[in-house]
Amino acid sequence: MTIRWKYLIILIVLLPLLGLGFAWSGLMGVRASTGHWAATDWFLHWVMKNSVRTAALSVDVPSLDDPALVPAAAGHFESGCAICHGSPAQGRSDAVLAMLPPPPDLKEKVPSWSDAQLFEIVKHGVRFTGMPAWPTQMRDDEVWAMVAFLRKLPQMDANAYFQASGLHGIGHAGEVSPLPITCESCHADKKLNNGSIIPRLAGQSEAYLLNSLKAYAAKQRPSGIMEVAVGTLPEEGLPELAKYYAGQKLPLRPAQPSVDPTLVAKGQELAEKGRPADKVPACLSCHEKPGGNPAYPRISGQNTAYIARQLHLFQTGVRGGSQFNHLMTEAAKNLKEEDITALATFFAGRESVGP
Amino acid sequence: MDDDRLTGACRPIRSEERIVRQGSDRNGRTKAVASLFLLCPFLVSCSGIQSALDPAGREAADVATLFFTMLLGGAIIWAGVVGLLFYAARKRRVHSEKNAGRLILWGGAVFPSVVLLALLSYAAWLMPNVRPWFQGADGGMRRIEVTGEQFWWRVRYLDAGGAVAFETANEVRVPVGERVVFSLKSPDVIHSFWIPVLGGKMDMIPGRENRLTLQAEKPGTYRGVCAEFCGTSHALMAFTVHAMQPQDYEAWLLARRASSGVQDAEGLALFLKHGCAACHTVAGTEAQGKIGPDLTAFGERGSAGAGTLANEVEHVARFLRDPGRIKPGAKMPHFTMLPEAETDRIAAYLTGLK
Repeated sequence: MTIRWKYLIILIVLLPLLGLGFAWSGLMGVRASTGHWAATDWFLHWVMKNSVRTAALSVDVPSLDDPALVPAAAGHFESGCAICHGSPAQGRSDAVLAMLPPPPDLKEKVPSWSDAQLFEIVKHGVRFTGMPAWPTQMRDDEVWAMVAFLRKLPQMDANAYFQASGLHGIGHAGEVSPLPITCESCHADKKLNNGSIIPRLAGQSEAYLLNSLKAYAAKQRPSGIMEVAVGTLPEEGLPELAKYYAGQKLPLRPAQPSVDPTLVAKGQELAEKGRPADKVPACLSCHEKPGGNPAYPRISGQNTAYIARQLHLFQTGVRGGSQFNHLMTEAAKNLKEEDITALATFFAGRESVGP
Repeated sequence: MDDDRLTGACRPIRSEERIVRQGSDRNGRTKAVASLFLLCPFLVSCSGIQSALDPAGREAADVATLFFTMLLGGAIIWAGVVGLLFYAARKRRVHSEKNAGRLILWGGAVFPSVVLLALLSYAAWLMPNVRPWFQGADGGMRRIEVTGEQFWWRVRYLDAGGAVAFETANEVRVPVGERVVFSLKSPDVIHSFWIPVLGGKMDMIPGRENRLTLQAEKPGTYRGVCAEFCGTSHALMAFTVHAMQPQDYEAWLLARRASSGVQDAEGLALFLKHGCAACHTVAGTEAQGKIGPDLTAFGERGSAGAGTLANEVEHVARFLRDPGRIKPGAKMPHFTMLPEAETDRIAAYLTGLK
């Protein structure tokens, strides 16, 4: 008995050492050229599917019907995802297909996952593959927009994809991904309406635009979409970009007859006077005030959905932004849901004034 | 054995023991003197701007009289009880049962009942003066509405019709020789309004209005405090009280109604630029925020930050750069992102407001 114990202990100590010795010898291959053994390939995929399935159990799926979710995600898909996964406008290149494992063709794969599972994969990425996590872990709303887009992706042809992502054509012959995409791909005013979660930039305060671009670059305003977009720009180019959009004229949208006038009146009351009993300050005591701080953005004429979303982000404390953003966290804290609707509606229909 | 011990305990003290005892007596005396010195700091609370024992108003005077009456009575009774104790310990002769019964009846039942009844009657007789229940506080008396907020005081002076004549913060002014009704409210948590030299305290309870009447007798500057734990900066929630001669008070009311913050245009512009007006009012300007303290005539106030800091530019600037550092839990956001020159300039504007 004692002798057997001794052997067992020697075995337990020796086996890992042998394993380390094997790894040290360099005899273990990491060449992608040979691919995985069929058994390894099966095992890795099996583990991945099980893991995603289990993690997705605790995910609550919001409504993904809002058409405004698609363009924001489509632009990001082109700049962040299409390079590996291909897109309806451009298939995967041979270089990408030689990756191990090769990034899947989403047209085929997406239908096999549920919304919650797609959310899980997009938000957290997949280890031991090239699939990265969403650049910030704080913006589930962006990840859901991507899920909404992925659901539409299998039915999209090249034309629909161009429309959604704002791609400026397929570029020159022989050019590979990324295809030409710019700020205008998503922010072009003609693409936006009051349901858009992408903001209108024309006529915005220059100081605010610059602060926001810098905040995205410094990860002080969490957004996977905008971090990637601003990350491609040289820092010294940001002031020029801010100046360009600030200098443009914001076209006033025609008044919408469907808007409830009592909602507008309520929004106006809040914007002009606030509600001191609930510690809600008047928006216009800081925003668009003649002689006011240019770091405070203009809100008038902005998209309803964008305003509402920003207020929600302020309320949950994830909005971030320039050094002034904590002022809004405090101001938005005590807004009720109907206040946010009223304010967003009022400001969207208001003509922009100073500073 | 037991008997031996008993007799041993009663034997005359031997000389060496005596020396030891004398030593311990001296030791005890030193201790007594030392503890008297240790008690000295408490004497500080017997006078000053925030002492209930140095009253400047009718209600506080009544309370102080009650306190000293009870202190004196308590001292006499305590001395009597201790005297009796010594008497009982030394006395060898046994009382008759009848005498003992008498002592219990008179000393243990009748005497305390009479004393307690007298004290209760005296306290009950004082109550209407301290509390406004029997006076119809609605009728004709000057009214000041004080709202306790985390962690400052909103003070509104009401006119004869009950409408708000003007609002200020962290400072209460009352005329001497006149009874004033305080309407006490709270929007957030329970606070308690207490001006020790004038009277009180009374709780401010969310959802209801409590009333307290006070009459100042001696002109002067005093200090009021929050007397109910209300959050992290409860201890930094005080206010200044000015008891003024009636004619001075009337003059102040008139001046205060006319005061306006437009003299320093540059300071005002900065104040408005950064959005201070979202929460604060400065009468006569477009700053009409009602969330935080009214800052009209701020420079005249005895303190900044609700009794926390001296009302000087450097302290005000420090406060408005980072209120949470000075008053943990304060609702005002920090302004450390502004250039110091600008916050200094705003502080100068505020301290200049008269």
